[in-house]
Amino acid sequence: MKRTSRMLLILLAVLAMMAAACGSDDEAEAGGSEGTEAPGGTEAPSEGGEGASDAKAAFIMVAPIGDAGWNFMHNEGRLGAEEATGVETAYVDSIPEGSAEFDNAVQQFIDDGYNIIITTSFNYMDATEQFATDNPDVVFEHISGFKMNDTNFGNTFGRMYQPRYIAGMAAAAASETNRIGYVAAFAIPEVIRGINAFTLGAQAVNPDIEVEVVWTSTWFDPGVEGNAAQALIDNGADVLTMHQDSTATGEVATEAGATFIGYHSDMSAQVDAYLTAPVWDFTPRYTEILSSAAAGNFTPESFWGGIADGIVDIAIPDGSPVAAEMKEVRESIINGEFDVFEGEIIAQDGSAITDADGNLVVDLQDSFGNDIGAVGDALNDGILLGMSFFVEGVIGSAEG
Amino acid sequence: MTSASVELTNIWKRFPGGVTANAGANLRVEPGTVHAVLGENGAGKTTLMNVLAGVYRPEEGTVSLDGVPQSFASPAAAIAAGVVMVHQEFRLIPSFTVTENVALGESPRLLVRNSLEQQVGDLAERFGLHTEPGKQVWQLSMGERQRVEILKALWRDARVLILDEPTAVLTPQEATELGRIVAAMAADGRSIIFISHKLDEVTEFCDEATVLRGGATVAASLPVAELDKSRLAELMVGEATEVSIRRTRTTDVGDPLLEIRDLSMRDVHGVVTVDDVSLSVAAGEIVGIAGVAGNGQRPLADAIAGLAPIESGSIAVRDLDITPASPQARVDAGLAYVPEDRLGVGLAPRLNVIENAILRSYKSLTKGPFIDADAAEQMCEVLVDDYNVKVGQLDAPMAGLSGGNLQRLLVGRELAGRPSVVVAAQPTRGLDVQGVAAIQDILVEQSRTGTGVLLISEDLDELLALSDRLLVMHEGRVVAEFDPDAVTRAQVGEAMAGAVE
Amino acid sequence: MRLRLERRDRPLRGGQVRAFVVGVLIAFAVGAVLLVLSGHNPFEVYQKMLDSSFGSWRGLSTTLTQAVPLGLAGLAVAVAGSMGLWNIGAEGQIVAGAIGAAWVARLGPDLAGPLLIPLMLIAAVAAGGVYALGPALARSRLGVNEIITTLMLNEVAIRIVRYLQNGPWKDPTANNFPVTPELPAQAALPDLFERSNIGLLIAAAVILGFGVYTARSAWGYELRVAGSSADAARYAGISLKAKIFTVLVLSGAIAGLAGGIELTGSSSRLVEGVGGGYGYAGIIVAALALMRPSGVAAVAVAFGAVQVGGLAIQTTGVPASIANTLQALILFGALAAGVFGNYRVVRTAAAAPAGATA
Repeated sequence: MKRTSRMLLILLAVLAMMAAACGSDDEAEAGGSEGTEAPGGTEAPSEGGEGASDAKAAFIMVAPIGDAGWNFMHNEGRLGAEEATGVETAYVDSIPEGSAEFDNAVQQFIDDGYNIIITTSFNYMDATEQFATDNPDVVFEHISGFKMNDTNFGNTFGRMYQPRYIAGMAAAAASETNRIGYVAAFAIPEVIRGINAFTLGAQAVNPDIEVEVVWTSTWFDPGVEGNAAQALIDNGADVLTMHQDSTATGEVATEAGATFIGYHSDMSAQVDAYLTAPVWDFTPRYTEILSSAAAGNFTPESFWGGIADGIVDIAIPDGSPVAAEMKEVRESIINGEFDVFEGEIIAQDGSAITDADGNLVVDLQDSFGNDIGAVGDALNDGILLGMSFFVEGVIGSAEG
Repeated sequence: MTSASVELTNIWKRFPGGVTANAGANLRVEPGTVHAVLGENGAGKTTLMNVLAGVYRPEEGTVSLDGVPQSFASPAAAIAAGVVMVHQEFRLIPSFTVTENVALGESPRLLVRNSLEQQVGDLAERFGLHTEPGKQVWQLSMGERQRVEILKALWRDARVLILDEPTAVLTPQEATELGRIVAAMAADGRSIIFISHKLDEVTEFCDEATVLRGGATVAASLPVAELDKSRLAELMVGEATEVSIRRTRTTDVGDPLLEIRDLSMRDVHGVVTVDDVSLSVAAGEIVGIAGVAGNGQRPLADAIAGLAPIESGSIAVRDLDITPASPQARVDAGLAYVPEDRLGVGLAPRLNVIENAILRSYKSLTKGPFIDADAAEQMCEVLVDDYNVKVGQLDAPMAGLSGGNLQRLLVGRELAGRPSVVVAAQPTRGLDVQGVAAIQDILVEQSRTGTGVLLISEDLDELLALSDRLLVMHEGRVVAEFDPDAVTRAQVGEAMAGAVE
Repeated sequence: MRLRLERRDRPLRGGQVRAFVVGVLIAFAVGAVLLVLSGHNPFEVYQKMLDSSFGSWRGLSTTLTQAVPLGLAGLAVAVAGSMGLWNIGAEGQIVAGAIGAAWVARLGPDLAGPLLIPLMLIAAVAAGGVYALGPALARSRLGVNEIITTLMLNEVAIRIVRYLQNGPWKDPTANNFPVTPELPAQAALPDLFERSNIGLLIAAAVILGFGVYTARSAWGYELRVAGSSADAARYAGISLKAKIFTVLVLSGAIAGLAGGIELTGSSSRLVEGVGGGYGYAGIIVAALALMRPSGVAAVAVAFGAVQVGGLAIQTTGVPASIANTLQALILFGALAAGVFGNYRVVRTAAAAPAGATA
């Protein structure tokens, strides 16, 4: 008995060591909650689409595909694009950023004849750029960064602030305390932009709404996210939303009887308190890249698409008292009649940022002090990309 | 006649490697008595107690409790049957309270903490075990921790308690206190088995005594009240066997080579282990130290070798004060040490024979930063030849050698540096007949070349045969000095028992 | 009847290698079943693993590139391990080394490569050593278990990088993303062949050099004595405290070098994931090398090949979960073989009557 258990202990120790080594892969940035078995990489090319050609596309992901988060949506996009174009695709996941493993994976794909490489995590950017320089015949697309070249390397991101605005409308209609909690990862322009858009949308429904922000300084840490969410509940919020990679905020909302607005994907299966979520859909964009690369006419660009391009969207909850208004806003965003940041914008401290025509009334700088806009400028993409201020109605510091 | 509460009959227990720890041992303990189990190290006491406590299963023999034969598959089974052993190393969780430790394993009841503390307190009160049930164990003294162990046993309603050298970690006051507790438990009808080397305690605390020697029972259930300490000591060390060698005593003793003055030591618990010892060993002389195990011989040897801190006193080799010197500096000064634990202290078990052979001399075998492998091998071969070490391959791990060969290599290596003084602790323990003779020959030979030898042994025959002078240690003090040619075993036994002052 | 492990009097000699081979073969067999069950042809998969890791110069260089951090981390663990110490903190020390190297690049971004790179690597070594200083002092002075202290510092190192990239070292040109700036171009280690850079030479020199040094020097001998028995070491006059301190700091410094080489070799900026799990994998490498620095190089290359092969089969459609299981199986087979090299299974008759078994 004793000896057997000693043997078991030895085995367990060995296993634990291996788990520690293997597990470290999963500790990288993002990663949805674990769960369903990852679908196999290669699917047999389906009929239809433009088909033909010898194009093969490979996707590199930072964490397991999971069942709801960032990596999951990329895999959905991969499968959708494969179906639409007939281009064969494959992927690897759990590849840490800044590691030799990333290089190995990309090189392996290139050696295996893959001529479209899509890298889906921010810190893959530099290495992807290097590969693009070294492999002019291979098309590279990097997601969420800002680098590109003129021949074979582009980048893609989405105007998530558009659906965030509509999500803010739904949140305001659902709140009785007029206080909404927002669990946010890092004080970077992408996140700040989303918070501002969400707040503007909420105020469009109810001008008295306040949005309280708690920074977690992590993309994925269910424990920290849950604690932040609980603090917001304790401060009186009855609707929670987040810019994170786990569903911890939703779980706290469910427990507290609050309403939850998600992010990334439809989380209704995971979270009871789920109302709706601004979501990613990479299928149209990946379809476009795969088909143009397969046809030999890929042109690099800094793609920053909105709802009209299909890369971001939001489902309108039928039961919402403002469902009609939300539909209307969505339509007008799509046909270009409405822009989230148009008209007069007042900063958190009550000072004006833009006038009623949407032109700056102050000089703007990003968080490093770089000038991004001068008085009289329109609130253009450059300003959005460097946005470092909160609008009126946000509680919290935009400095993180 | 009522049945004994414990009866062990004709117990045999052998271990892999040919060691027979119990060879027909018997033990009978009456209910409500305190029963001493005595014997030297290696006499088989611990093995026999482990048989009773379900740790080992004997190849032969029976274990009965209250007349019912038992076959314990595990210590848990023994505990369930009411046999609990209190080990020397306490098995307590420091960050838990006394109550939590006592009631550990009965977690549902832990929920009602207050009433549980009350119950533990009541139980302690009943047997005069002074303790605070709410205190955490790390805050307790060694004596208090021992009481918690005893409480644990009582909590499980142990009918038979085995106390393994219970006073080793106690201050004299705590030991006296323990005597009272033991008496209270016996008065409650429980049987207590008391393992000890200390004859004072045996005569003071115990009703009966069983003496083991060489794995067998040599005296069973002696009524302690009718015995004196020297008789017990004699039983432990045994009658004179055949005298192997009786060397010619050194007549002309040279200059003193090892001089120890007023040496005192304490162990980690603050208990005095060596008490104001002075002795000297002269050139060509073999000085023997006798004593029941645990009376300060081992710390004394470690202190000379520089492996244990001392409290006061001085040690000199050839007039050079080595009291503050490092172990290596002592070797350089001419000291050689054959430690009691040959494999683990004197030799590194996982290293190979060559690596062990050069343990003392590797620094002189270097070429630049590297050890000269050829020189090392050569040196090892010389050692192996000279001391007749039987070894398969020189690059095989040390642990594969037999005890005799280990000791030959160790002694040979220590003597290779031509030391002035050799301290040899239990150099022949556990060796077979030839091994014993070989080591004894080496030591005698060495003394003839003018080396001073301090021989610490539990084998009285060996001491009487080899020593020029025989010192006896008791409770850390040198209590007697004898001329081996003019002393009887009984006289030595009395001194070992502390009967001489 | 029951089975138990009994330590062999001496380890299987030639048998050790044989045991490894058998262990790995069993692992491949089990893996094959797994592959068939998940609809893959095991022969093709194994062929791909072999081709990608050893089948071409490029594959070989990929394997060797992977072996560099594995080998240095394994060496760090093995140097401590040969003295019986467990440095579980190589991961953090790798990160610390990368921080040190990145710091030098920040201070002297305009230095020429031949000057900058050595300075960065020296800083990496120093930073790794400094990062192990706490556990080394705590263990040698106070007897605090180094397993716990080194392990805990792993997370701290990652937090430091996180702080740097969100705070003082935030890259002003990165569109406000929380990243550290790109390293100057001349900070990249020069290429050697195919995918390998001169980091391979540095690592090989260090690993093989240490292997020889610890196996043959008086210093290495003292380590082994202390690792075999602390009492024997004190008996032999070896200063344990000093030795423990030196060895733990040295272990950290070696891991730090791994971080420096990773940063200058494979990464264009300091990121949280620079450790890449190599510090933990190094524990397995060292265990497979039986804690002998001289065995680390071979194990690291084999382990690197398994990792490269495991990744390569993912690119052919074997899911990551299966590929990782396969890697784990191979490692497990090899480790288990290591156990059976030192132990044998013996049958013992149950002495107690069946009914009495608790």
